[in-house]
Amino acid sequence: MELAWYALLGLFFATYLVLGGYDYGVGLLLARRTAPATRRAALNAVGPFFLGNEVWLVATVGILFGAFPTLEGELLSGFYPAVLGALAGVVLVTAGVQLRSRPTGERARAGWDRVVVAGSALAALGWGALLAGLLQGVPLRSDGHVAGLTHLGTPFVAATAVAMLSLVAAQGATFLTLRLPAAEAAPVARLAGRLVPAALAAVGTAAVLGLLSGRVRAAVAQPAAAVLLLVALVAALLAARTALGRGRPGLAFAATSATLALPVALVGAALWPWVLVSTVEPGVGLTVADAAASGPTLRLLGWLALPLLPALLGFQAMCWWVFRGRTDGRAPVYW
Amino acid sequence: MDTLLLARLQFATTTSIHFLFVVVTLGLVTLLVGLQTAGFITGKPMYERLTRFWGQLYVINYVLGIATGIVMEFQFGLNWSGLSRYVGNVFGAPLAIETLVAFFLESTFLGMWIFGWHRLRRGVHLALLWGVALTAYASAFWIMVANSWLQHPVGYEVRDGIAHLTDFGALLTNPTLGFAFGHVVSAGLVTGGVLMAAVSAWHLIRRTPDFALFRTSLRLGVLTTAISVVFLVGFGFAQFGPVGRVQPTKFGGGPERDALVAEWTARFGPGDYTPPALSSVGLGFMILIGFTLFLGTLLVPLLFRDWIIRLRFPLWVILLALPLPFVAVILGWIAREVGRQPWVAYGLLPTGHAVSPVGAGVMLTSLIGFSLLLGTLAVTNWVLLARHAARGAAHPALGRPPEPDADTRPEPVFA
Repeated sequence: MELAWYALLGLFFATYLVLGGYDYGVGLLLARRTAPATRRAALNAVGPFFLGNEVWLVATVGILFGAFPTLEGELLSGFYPAVLGALAGVVLVTAGVQLRSRPTGERARAGWDRVVVAGSALAALGWGALLAGLLQGVPLRSDGHVAGLTHLGTPFVAATAVAMLSLVAAQGATFLTLRLPAAEAAPVARLAGRLVPAALAAVGTAAVLGLLSGRVRAAVAQPAAAVLLLVALVAALLAARTALGRGRPGLAFAATSATLALPVALVGAALWPWVLVSTVEPGVGLTVADAAASGPTLRLLGWLALPLLPALLGFQAMCWWVFRGRTDGRAPVYW
Repeated sequence: MDTLLLARLQFATTTSIHFLFVVVTLGLVTLLVGLQTAGFITGKPMYERLTRFWGQLYVINYVLGIATGIVMEFQFGLNWSGLSRYVGNVFGAPLAIETLVAFFLESTFLGMWIFGWHRLRRGVHLALLWGVALTAYASAFWIMVANSWLQHPVGYEVRDGIAHLTDFGALLTNPTLGFAFGHVVSAGLVTGGVLMAAVSAWHLIRRTPDFALFRTSLRLGVLTTAISVVFLVGFGFAQFGPVGRVQPTKFGGGPERDALVAEWTARFGPGDYTPPALSSVGLGFMILIGFTLFLGTLLVPLLFRDWIIRLRFPLWVILLALPLPFVAVILGWIAREVGRQPWVAYGLLPTGHAVSPVGAGVMLTSLIGFSLLLGTLAVTNWVLLARHAARGAAHPALGRPPEPDADTRPEPVFA
């Protein structure tokens, strides 16, 4: 039962990173000095999906609170700076994207675009830092509380945050290659072709720092799974590069999406059966089973989720299907 | 500085800002459903123009509802990890249900509604708005279930110091839930109605071009306010009975309060178990505002032969009444939440035990940072709302006007 809920939690967070990843990736690409019309076209390419993408985060935290209350408290308060940064970023992107086209002046819109760029960067860096922080263990005391905030200040956390930023940027560029009108997609396709190797380098750096870090080696309980998923991540990046080179944006987008989902699977599998591993007191930690809510709560939520999940996925799929294909001159514009 | 005070200040700030936008969301979406449904049935273009104009204001308002809502959801874990540790098994369930059943679908539907104008079939597009409205109400319901549990914990047993769920049905029949939910929904409708009437009144005072359009929305706003204010006051006073029974310390003294305080002193040690005076003072002002809005029903007869517009002064009265529901919802929320102190879960978990063990510096940074961020966004949002309301219904950004006959668009997708 706990495993099913843990998998569901991972599924929701991974889907959030994949879908929110292209929101933030497109947001980051607004930093390019392009014409106002190009920036607006990029945002409206995300258009109808934007609200539906961000809610995966809200649902993730809902599942975290409902099914893993103990983990929720320690995870969020124990990673205070990373969560604070990511949260501020999410708020800035949410407000910026939806409000940027409400003023008519180009200067006000450009100002909002900078808000979106900053928010996207904060969100990507924050979630990257959170995943890295989990993988290197936390100062968890035997009273069950995570003490201190400085545990996040390591090269591995910094490198992983940057790697997440580069993965998100590559995801955004690949999404635009797939979704913008074919005539306008060539420049983003070239950009995506440059961003994927950069992401490969950033992921490589983070991986090397992780392998060298004693804390990571001590915290990882399933090294085989970790290495296997890391190899899959690198393979997905290489596949994205090949697909972009051959002009197959759909395949490339599938591959870059995998690169954002795999880090979540990697952290979950590498630490199993633990979810928080203590760096200060050996043998102390929080297992997935201990972090979960008690039986009656999980059963109640389970009976609810069973009929609900198909509906949730169905309506999301309806949104993707209705607004599928490339945008064109007649596509609705609102952001 | 005391982390408890900082954490409480932050939650109060975020929740207050959130609530100001959420009541508008609840009220406006109901009116929008009415307008778009009327347009669907009658086929009159005016209703579509009304839907697009008010829909645009609704969507701008919605932005801050989400932004503040996300911050609130994270704050439970960031600042109140004790809450999830001790009562998360019970309190977490309605919150998880809210995110999955309600909010997830609400946002998915709204995204399709915003971008679906003249692209989806009219029936599908209307159904999406109904979906947005129903999930918004579901969202309010589950949040009130969670909040009512904090007001009056039921359906649980404590094992090893941690609350476990025993009877989920008890959460739904919580005596502090039903009337409070009705009260909040009515407050949303009153706020939406007053907002619609006030914006229309402004246009009618200024004699802007769209007379017929704003006449319709003025009448809709006034009637909605007049009907829902009756329920608002009714549900408000109906709460005194159950709240007085299950929360004797909230609104005053009496032997029941003394008995409960004596019991708590025996169980939790000596302490101040009475809420700050702030809550009852706020309650008094809120009731005054409620009665003032209730007098708004006197405007209804003036709808006859448009006397409400011809006399002009009623328009000014409506315009000046715009801040009242907003002040009242904040005061009402303070009465409910501050009146529960010093408990986070009444009689079960003291507020001080729920706060996260993080440093005061971090908490202060978070308080200042998020208050500034959300405060700035709220003010910006209101400025944008005011500008769009003043601009009138000529060219709302939401949805294109129906295109002329030389229409080369493909058939609507999603039959």
